[in-house]
Amino acid sequence: MWTVPKPKYRTGSCDEGEIAVNIGGVRVVLFGDVLNRYPESRLAELLNCSPQNHDVISALCDDFDPGRKEFYFDRDPDAFKCIIDVYYFGEIHIKPGICPICFIKEMEFWKIDQAVLDECCKSYLSEKEEELTEIANKVKVILEDLEVDRCITRTQRCQRFLWRLMEKPGSSRPARVIAIASFLSVLVSAVVMCVGTIPELQVADPEGKLVEHPILVAIETACMSWFTAEYLLRLASSPNKLHFAFSFMNVVDFMAIVPFYVVLSLTYLGTSSMMELTNVQQAVQALRIMRIARIFKLARHSSGLQTLTQALKNSLKELGLLLMYMSVGIFVFSALAYTMEQSHPETLFRSIPQSFWWAIITMTTVGYGDIYPKTTLGKCNAAVSFLCGVIAIALPIHPIINNFVVFYNKQKVLESAAKHEVELMELKSGRDARRKSRD
Amino acid sequence: MEKSLPELNKAGSHSTSSLPPESVDIVRSKSCFRRVRLNVGGLPHEVLWRTLDRLPRTRLGKLRDCNIHDSLMEVCDDYNLEENEYFFDRHPGAFTSILNFYRTGKLHMMEEMCALSFSQELDYWGIDEIYLESCCQARYHQKKEQMNEELKREADNMKDREGEEFDNTCCAEKRKKLWDLLEKPSSSVAAKILAIISILFIVLSTIALSLNTLPELQDTDEFGQSSDNPQLAHVEAVCIAWFTMEYLLRFLSSPNKWKFFKGPLNVIDLLAILPYYVTIFLTESNKSVLQFQNVRRVVQIFRIMRILRILKLARHSTGLQSLGFTLRRSYNELGLLILFLAMGIMIFSSLVFFAEKDEEDTKFKSIPASFWWATITMTTVGYGDIYPKTLLGKIVGGLCCIAGVLVIALPIPIIVNNFSEFYKEQKRQEKALKRREALERAKRNGSIVSMNLKEAFARSAELMDVVVEKSERPHDNHLSPSHWKWTPKRAASETSSNRSFNAQELGSPNKARATSPQRLNVQKLEEMYNQMAKTQSQPNLNAKDRGSKTGKQRDEIELGAIQDHRPPVIGAREGVGDMKSLSSIDSYISCATDFQENPRYPHSHAMELGLQESNRFSHSPATAFSQHGSTKSGQKTIGEREPILTPVSITKPSCTENKRRFFFSGNSSKSHIPKGGCHSEGGPGLSPLSDSSVMSDHSLLSPEVSVYTTASSRTPPKSPESTTLAATVFTFHDSSISKYIDADTDDDEHLRDLSDISPSERLLAGSSPKRSISTNYQKGCNHLEAAQKMLGQNCLFPMEGIRGVAHENNVGPDMARRPKVDRGRQNTLDKSL
Repeated sequence: MWTVPKPKYRTGSCDEGEIAVNIGGVRVVLFGDVLNRYPESRLAELLNCSPQNHDVISALCDDFDPGRKEFYFDRDPDAFKCIIDVYYFGEIHIKPGICPICFIKEMEFWKIDQAVLDECCKSYLSEKEEELTEIANKVKVILEDLEVDRCITRTQRCQRFLWRLMEKPGSSRPARVIAIASFLSVLVSAVVMCVGTIPELQVADPEGKLVEHPILVAIETACMSWFTAEYLLRLASSPNKLHFAFSFMNVVDFMAIVPFYVVLSLTYLGTSSMMELTNVQQAVQALRIMRIARIFKLARHSSGLQTLTQALKNSLKELGLLLMYMSVGIFVFSALAYTMEQSHPETLFRSIPQSFWWAIITMTTVGYGDIYPKTTLGKCNAAVSFLCGVIAIALPIHPIINNFVVFYNKQKVLESAAKHEVELMELKSGRDARRKSRD
Repeated sequence: MEKSLPELNKAGSHSTSSLPPESVDIVRSKSCFRRVRLNVGGLPHEVLWRTLDRLPRTRLGKLRDCNIHDSLMEVCDDYNLEENEYFFDRHPGAFTSILNFYRTGKLHMMEEMCALSFSQELDYWGIDEIYLESCCQARYHQKKEQMNEELKREADNMKDREGEEFDNTCCAEKRKKLWDLLEKPSSSVAAKILAIISILFIVLSTIALSLNTLPELQDTDEFGQSSDNPQLAHVEAVCIAWFTMEYLLRFLSSPNKWKFFKGPLNVIDLLAILPYYVTIFLTESNKSVLQFQNVRRVVQIFRIMRILRILKLARHSTGLQSLGFTLRRSYNELGLLILFLAMGIMIFSSLVFFAEKDEEDTKFKSIPASFWWATITMTTVGYGDIYPKTLLGKIVGGLCCIAGVLVIALPIPIIVNNFSEFYKEQKRQEKALKRREALERAKRNGSIVSMNLKEAFARSAELMDVVVEKSERPHDNHLSPSHWKWTPKRAASETSSNRSFNAQELGSPNKARATSPQRLNVQKLEEMYNQMAKTQSQPNLNAKDRGSKTGKQRDEIELGAIQDHRPPVIGAREGVGDMKSLSSIDSYISCATDFQENPRYPHSHAMELGLQESNRFSHSPATAFSQHGSTKSGQKTIGEREPILTPVSITKPSCTENKRRFFFSGNSSKSHIPKGGCHSEGGPGLSPLSDSSVMSDHSLLSPEVSVYTTASSRTPPKSPESTTLAATVFTFHDSSISKYIDADTDDDEHLRDLSDISPSERLLAGSSPKRSISTNYQKGCNHLEAAQKMLGQNCLFPMEGIRGVAHENNVGPDMARRPKVDRGRQNTLDKSL
């Protein structure tokens, strides 16, 4: 419950530089010399313009009562109470409870520069603004999707249709089916890849070497052809080919497909004896590892994984910190362990690089037990290294986790906010249209 | 002031006329003002009509289009055309942001607002929540969802408890007792003991189960197979018997059998019992050796199911239950955790497979075989049965360790957060349950009359308005309109408050003797008082001649107001007959709420004359007077309490009423003027009279008397204990307010209003200079001078309070000048002295 700030009357008489303003029902009397500290501001302009000049006055304020010499503004009195502080103290603090975006609009109305906003409130404001821009980006994406039939040619329409079918699982039922099928094929191909390495399930080829079971090979081929078709369709329908080719998810897709075709061509080359068979086989072996890339294709279907990559991308610094702590710890403790264990005749620590492994396993508290210290000093060292390892991991991990949690929560919020924004825009455009038609 | 006041008494404004204003007047008023004053819950706002036109379909937009009294009253709660002010009886906090929506086209939400109440406000003002800007929208929806969830859960809980009705079948009473005994450990000592026994049996049976597998304790049966130890088998049998009995009793006593059967805890119970019986059945029915091997295998499976009995502990532990709830609620995050782990395992196991596969005597024979290694490494368990040996494998292993730590740590905080939130919630709910039970007990005892929580929630604002309109009408039937200067609404409120007042007077035991003779006294007193007022107005006018013309004008109005006071008393007396008599002080509140039925009345009630108001807050006049046994101290109480009253007037619902209140408070304080005047004129003959009349009639509480007592309270010399008394009065006042709030918990609007007001009120009361005056007075200065001083400042303060707090616009420039005038007069008086 606020009251009217009592004007400090200078012994009764009404000063010439005094103006009375009524902001949304709250009457305030202000002194001219104070207002002139910011001559750019609306109130100062009001003060300096002559009272007879009605056009200027009506442009500056909403209503003027000549009898009481009171200027009326149809604005928020609460925000004004904060803004008026700038004349007295030279800085503005946003009153807790007022939305900062709303407050900035008020400041713009009073023609006061944003720079006078104090630092403590600025960070809050920038946070909000960041959020808003993110929402705006999302809205842009949604609006782009909603833009239907803007393109004239038939091919463009086909392209747009295909794009939505492949990229937006939420847009229609077939798109959803395609997304699920794609997800399942990723899973199947991953399982096939794993199962194919089990010796019991492998069959011997004519040369006595174990190769994958023909059924598994068939499934693998089917999956790969599906992936290829998917990739090609996406590429064909994408509006911006270059952008598409270099985006992260599509690079992953490409990496998942390429090894298969390289292996195919290599074996073809090997059988047609254009290259040496041993070389070909080595290359094939190396390329088989590349198959693992297909697991990352799952990220396309899981928002959680996308959040993880985003969080990791945003906390590269902390990851670097983590690795640095770890490497320093590993160096120190492996060297210590090596020197301490030298006294023992049957030591497992034969060189410092070899004891790196021990240090990693100890510091991450895994502890396989393939290498372990045997002397008392070495054991003490191991205990200390274990403790240091826990701390070295725990410290930088916390910001990473924090990042993740923030992104995770934000993603949920942003999604709904963007949808809401679109609705709001529709509503407002509808209202404007109505108003126009009424006029 | 000179102009507006007489006009107020004419038909110009809605508030002062018994007839609703013509629509022509309304149209004229709207056309001649560019701006409009909106008074929302006491906070004045001023806005251009043009601004309101931006959203023509909302409540404020409709206000512009309404030209008839009835439709106008539908849109707003009260209005005053003269002042161009419209009153809405809503929360002022939310209105600021709503008005800003009209101004800027952007709807933002006050951060500290409760989302639920904000959405109710939006509903009332006819604004769709979809207009909320995206920066506030997320917060709003989050909060609202949370609140809705909570409310739903609360409603479910309530339904659960209401659903436990045992009246449809036989021996309901006994079954209810049994149910309470078995299901609610906190209901009685026996139930608690039963719960502890149950826990002990669970622990015992699990210990027996694990001991049974020790080879030393096992027996061998005729086939050479190991079987259960006979002693342990007995323990097992006893435990199972207890469990079975418990389950059956629960089942029999449950009010809803199917729901009981479905309950997760009861399913666990059943699963803990069943394996035992199935085992017995299978072994007994298949004695032949042929099938024995197969049966054994089945029996083994059922034996494993015995482990489920450890889950029975969940019934007795809130922590375990909230763990279950958490897991159910955060299955998304758990899925994420598993997905992360699965991907990590997949990647690292295939990497390590390709790294290690060419090593001779390797254990990484295939990718599935290295899954185990990846799992053990990623979870940092590290058994050491498989470990990489090549350099490449070791690098992969190291990366796997670090990645494992990271990946597992990521979703855990979210789950933990869920858990802690849920746990907190559970704790809070337990407390809330206890509080509600206490409240219900209080309700049963009759000290609180309140609506059902759900009803209060569902009830819409419009409905309330209708109720108000209806309940107002009948009251002015038996009151002649000529006596009535104020609107019907006013009348209703006045009578109702007077009625409740008199009813209380009748009902309270120490007032039982307040019958006709004393009532006669009241009339006499009134007459005397009026006479006095008439005679004293002369010197007063003289005094004011020295001051200003406005003061004089005002006095006349005050006199009119005073005289207008009689009708309510009569009306009240008429109403006394049909009042049920109430006996306890406690029931005063319930009586008051009976009268009110809607949130508006308490306010109109509260705006009554000083004494009534103070009494309202101090629960009952009986307490007020019986507490301060001596007349002097009683009077002092009133005198001390008065400063509190003026700020209270803010709570009043209507702006016009506000204004009236203004006069009234001015009036009640003004009534000291004649009194004071009599003093200054050396009227000792009068003052003893007034004193004595108060002495004899202090139990009589008609408004006139109250004013009178207030006035005369200044005259007696102060006793030293009055300061302490004053202190007690103040604390009493506060506590009574809080009591009042407690009593009305179900009606949240009330609560908000009152709690909003009370701090400022207290502040004002605390800082009110009147108090300091009376302390000055206590210091023993000259009677006369003190009386005069008080006079001047008494006139000043109620106005200052009102003007300063809320009503600058209402009062206008003349009013603003008034305090100065008073001050000036005071100065002159001092000089004259």
